[in-house]
Amino acid sequence: MIKKIKVQDAVGTKLAHDITEIRPGEFKGPAFRKDHTVCDGDICHLQRLGKDHLYVLDLEQDEIHENDAALILGDALAGEGVTCERAPKEGKVRLLAERDGLLMVDTAALAAFNMVEEVMCATLHRYTLVKAGEMVAATRAIPLVMKRVAIERAAAIAKQNGGALSVKSMRKARVGLIITGNEVYHGRIKDRFGPILAEKVKAMGSEVMGLDFAADDSEMISKAIRGHLSKGCDLLLLSGGMSVDPDDVTRHGIRLAGATEVHYGSAVLPGAMFLVAYIGDLPILGVPACALYHKTTILDLVLPRILAGEHVTRAELAFLGHGGLCRDCEECIYPHCPFGKGA
Amino acid sequence: MENFEELLASSAKAHGHLCPGQAVGVRMAMLGCRLIELEDPTEHSQIKKILVYVEMDRCAADAIAHVTGVKLGRRSLKFTDYGIMAATFVNLETDKAFRILSTEEARDLVTLYAPGVRGKGGQQLEAYKRMPDSVLFRVQRVRVPVKGWDLPGPTRYKSICSRCGQVVRDKREVVVHGEPLCKPCAEGGYFKDAQEITWPDMNWTPTSPGFFHPPHRKRHLPRRVEIKGRRMVHPYTEIPPH
Repeated sequence: MIKKIKVQDAVGTKLAHDITEIRPGEFKGPAFRKDHTVCDGDICHLQRLGKDHLYVLDLEQDEIHENDAALILGDALAGEGVTCERAPKEGKVRLLAERDGLLMVDTAALAAFNMVEEVMCATLHRYTLVKAGEMVAATRAIPLVMKRVAIERAAAIAKQNGGALSVKSMRKARVGLIITGNEVYHGRIKDRFGPILAEKVKAMGSEVMGLDFAADDSEMISKAIRGHLSKGCDLLLLSGGMSVDPDDVTRHGIRLAGATEVHYGSAVLPGAMFLVAYIGDLPILGVPACALYHKTTILDLVLPRILAGEHVTRAELAFLGHGGLCRDCEECIYPHCPFGKGA
Repeated sequence: MENFEELLASSAKAHGHLCPGQAVGVRMAMLGCRLIELEDPTEHSQIKKILVYVEMDRCAADAIAHVTGVKLGRRSLKFTDYGIMAATFVNLETDKAFRILSTEEARDLVTLYAPGVRGKGGQQLEAYKRMPDSVLFRVQRVRVPVKGWDLPGPTRYKSICSRCGQVVRDKREVVVHGEPLCKPCAEGGYFKDAQEITWPDMNWTPTSPGFFHPPHRKRHLPRRVEIKGRRMVHPYTEIPPH
């Protein structure tokens, strides 16, 4: 039960909730915390905050306070690699990454959770790279007091599949690079692809085990792939030869090497001619030449997911289409832009 | 109880087609049985322990009846015409009762639970298979005061309409000024302008010689008759064989 009292009559009572103060451009936060005992000196401050009345709570057995609700919701939402802060602030709790990795969001469960009236959770986009301690989501019950059963139902929805939010660690891959193309192999031009790929691999915490060059010859490409595999590489990146010219034989070389799955083409620009293949469980990524020019491409969207253990197929490459168009800004600010965020 | 896929297949066969409502109905019935702790109410030992109130006459209602084995004629299936996608499952032995409501938001979540599935019906069906019960349903613990005359079993009460003489069973009569009336006499029926008729072959019985089917199926082409200057076809008149 909630009772309304005049602020002047509130001296000696405990506040039912945090009271927020906003000073434009300067401060936003709780001026008073829940359970603060109101004293004479608080009255003017409360009135300046627009509070002429306060609530006094006497909860029924089937009711729950927003702070307790927020903790139940936060705990239910937090899956592997995510933790819920123990101290609700202004009725909200934050969900934090427990480790570095890739944020995974069960968007169906999140939507179903948010369809429950009077609860909410807002998250970062899924597949965002996050650091340990970083906020990945926040949740709250919207009213000050609500029915416990609604909170429990929302929590059950959030818990499906082990929690709607998780952070997957990215494995440290042993990466083999193969740069294809007659122009590089025969020394007509200097390779510039190798360093770009190596930098991206290292930025993800993986290690380049070897760099090889192959002419536009499917047999030679296949042999280079097998060579890297025999050295213990567990992820291969191939560049070049992904286009439609007669000399573009990289795909054929990958098949010759024993690929069991080949998915060519993605709904991303830059990166339409990207390729994902597998030899057994071992992934092979074919990177089109656009990665030589554009700072951010399909590779930046798919590589973290591969390292987080996701099996990328035609469907994943197709679903990237919504939001998969790079705006090609003069100064690239990825990942703080919409590129790749619609999937 | 059989598993979900088996129940869905047999329910669809009994209903006539596989549709999203079948998936919702089968799952609602499975949940209902779990909640009232009847493992398989179609088994002989449990068949008299269950009552189900369905609140809509939609595909899901058939699926609920199929899974639970409740039947209108056995009085274990009650139809309350609320137009709500809900059903209440009652364990008559323990008095436990749960009302399960299909959530409206489940419809809005279909594309998220079954992305990439083509066709509206197919996508709904797949999504309703994948959604957890927590998304698909809301459940209320309820109390259902079942009156003695609503229970399965032989007719316990009969009354006679003081206006038309019809026998009214199971306390469905309406008492007006101390007199029992059937509902059509008291409140008006779902039908209008009732006039009693006679019809050809009205002495037919299933054992009548020469008939394997009701006689109208063997009817000859009707002859045309003149009524008030217009040519009309009398549907109940047969042409005598030559």
